[in-house]
Amino acid sequence: MTVLLVNEMAKSKFDNRNEWLFTGVTAEIRPEDRIVLLGGSGQGKSTLLRILSLLEPFDKGDLQLDGQTSAECKPQSWRKKVTYVAQKPVMRSGTVAHNLRTVSELHHKPFEEELARSYMEAVGLGKMDWDKQASDLSGGEQQRLALVRSLLLHPELLLLDEITSSLDPASKRAVEKLLMDWAAGQANGLERAYLWITHDLDQARLISNQVWFMAEGRLLERSATEVFFENPATEQAGLFIHSLQETGGEKQ
Amino acid sequence: MNNMALLCTVCFVAVAALISMKQKLGLEKEILIGTIRSAVQLLFIGYVLHFVFETSHPAFIIIIILCMIMVAAWNAGAKAKHVRGIRSRIAIALACTEGVTMAILLGLSIIDPTPQYIIPVSGIIIGSSMIVCGLLLNQMKREMETARGEMEMLLALGATEKQAVHGSLRRSVRASMIPTLDGMKTVGLVQLPGMMTGMIVAGADPIEAVRYQILIMFVLASSAAMTAMVLSLISYRLWFTKDARLLPMLPEDN
Repeated sequence: MTVLLVNEMAKSKFDNRNEWLFTGVTAEIRPEDRIVLLGGSGQGKSTLLRILSLLEPFDKGDLQLDGQTSAECKPQSWRKKVTYVAQKPVMRSGTVAHNLRTVSELHHKPFEEELARSYMEAVGLGKMDWDKQASDLSGGEQQRLALVRSLLLHPELLLLDEITSSLDPASKRAVEKLLMDWAAGQANGLERAYLWITHDLDQARLISNQVWFMAEGRLLERSATEVFFENPATEQAGLFIHSLQETGGEKQ
Repeated sequence: MNNMALLCTVCFVAVAALISMKQKLGLEKEILIGTIRSAVQLLFIGYVLHFVFETSHPAFIIIIILCMIMVAAWNAGAKAKHVRGIRSRIAIALACTEGVTMAILLGLSIIDPTPQYIIPVSGIIIGSSMIVCGLLLNQMKREMETARGEMEMLLALGATEKQAVHGSLRRSVRASMIPTLDGMKTVGLVQLPGMMTGMIVAGADPIEAVRYQILIMFVLASSAAMTAMVLSLISYRLWFTKDARLLPMLPEDN
C-alpha cells in the first residue's frame, strides 16, 4: 500500500528564480486512485510529475512516500515505486526485445517474457517482431513500447505524461483499458494508482475517478471526476472545461 | 645558438606583425603579448631546469611535476567549470597516469633516473593526458545534451547513476582516445614529432632519436587510455546531484 503525500510544495520558474511556477501544492495519492491532471500549457504539470518521481528538484515543501521523506529515501528505490513515463518516448538503441529487457538488465532480475507478451498484446502490439530495431518504430508504437517497458518495472504509482498523444483512437482505448485494469489490481491483484496528464476531456472523464486542476500557479481543484465536470468549484475550471469543449466541438 | 641568432628569431614575429598591420587584422597586440610571454616563460623554465639539473635533488623534480599536474588540471577543468570538483579529479587522474608510467619507465630502466629524462618525459605525458581530459569532458558535455533523454529514461526506471551514464561515458572515453591513436598511425609520415626533431637538431643520431620517439608514442597511447579510464571512473558521479538527478543544463556556455 503506497501512499504519496505532497505538502505545500513550491517550484520556482527555470528562467526566473524569483517567480513561482507553482506554490502551495498539497495533495495525496493512494492506491486505486486514478487521477487526471488538467490545466493549460505552462502550468508546470510535467514539472510536477517529474518532481514526484525525483527527476527534478523542488524549492519548498516536502514529499513523502509511505512516511519516508524524499531526502531519506534512496532515489532509485523511490523511482522504482513512483515511475515517470515521458510524453516523448526515448528508445534505447537496439531491438524491441532489448528495450523490453531494460528493467531486467538494470535490476538484475529474470526477464518476464510472458508478462511482456501480455502487455504488448494489450496495447495492440501483440504481432510486433521483437527483433525489429526500436528506432524504426512509429511514434505511436514507441510510445506504447515505452509504457510496457515501464510497466515491467512493477511500479506502484505511474506518472503518465500525455502518453497517448501520438496514438490512433483504437490504440488509445487499448492503453486506457490496460491502465485502468492495472490500477484496479486486475493484472496481479495489487492495487495501484496513476496520475495522468491529458488534454483530452473525454479521455479524462473515462479514465479517472479524481481530477486535479492546475491554474494560476496553484493546484486549484482536487475533486471527484463527476463533481469536477458537473459542478466545478472554481470559475477558472469552468472556463477551462468550456474552452476545451468548444475546441473539441470544432474538431468534430 | 648564440644570443645574436636568438635575437634574430624576432624577425619571424615581425613578419606576422607586419601582415597583421597591412591586412588590418588587429592582431598586433596579441602577437606582442604572445611573443613576450613565450620568450619569458621558456627562458624562465630554461633557467629552472638548468638549476634543477645542476642540483639533481629529487624534491625539485617532484615539485616541478606537481606544478605541471596542477596547471594541466586547471586548464583542462576549464572545459567543465560548472561541474564541481572536476579539477581535483583531473589532477588525480593525471597523477595516477604519471605515477604508473614513470614507475614502469624507471622500474624497467627504460630511461635513466635523472632529471634530464624524467622532467621532459613527464611534460609530454602530462601534456598529452591533459588534452585527453579536455576531449573527454567536451564529449561528456555534449552527451549531457544529446543523450539526456536516454539518461533520464534510465533514471526513471530506477537505474543507478553509473547505469544511466554508462553509454555516454563509453562514447566519451572513445572520443578522447581517438586523436592519440590516429596520431600513432600517421606519425613520421605526416608530422615529425617535436621531440625527435629537437634531438636531431641538437646533433643526435636520427635512429637514436626515432627509438625515443617510438617509446614516447607507446607511452602516449597507454597514458591516454589510463587517463581516460581513471578520469571517467572517478568523475562520472559529478554530473549528477546528490539525489541522483542530472545536473541542470547550462544556458549556453562555451
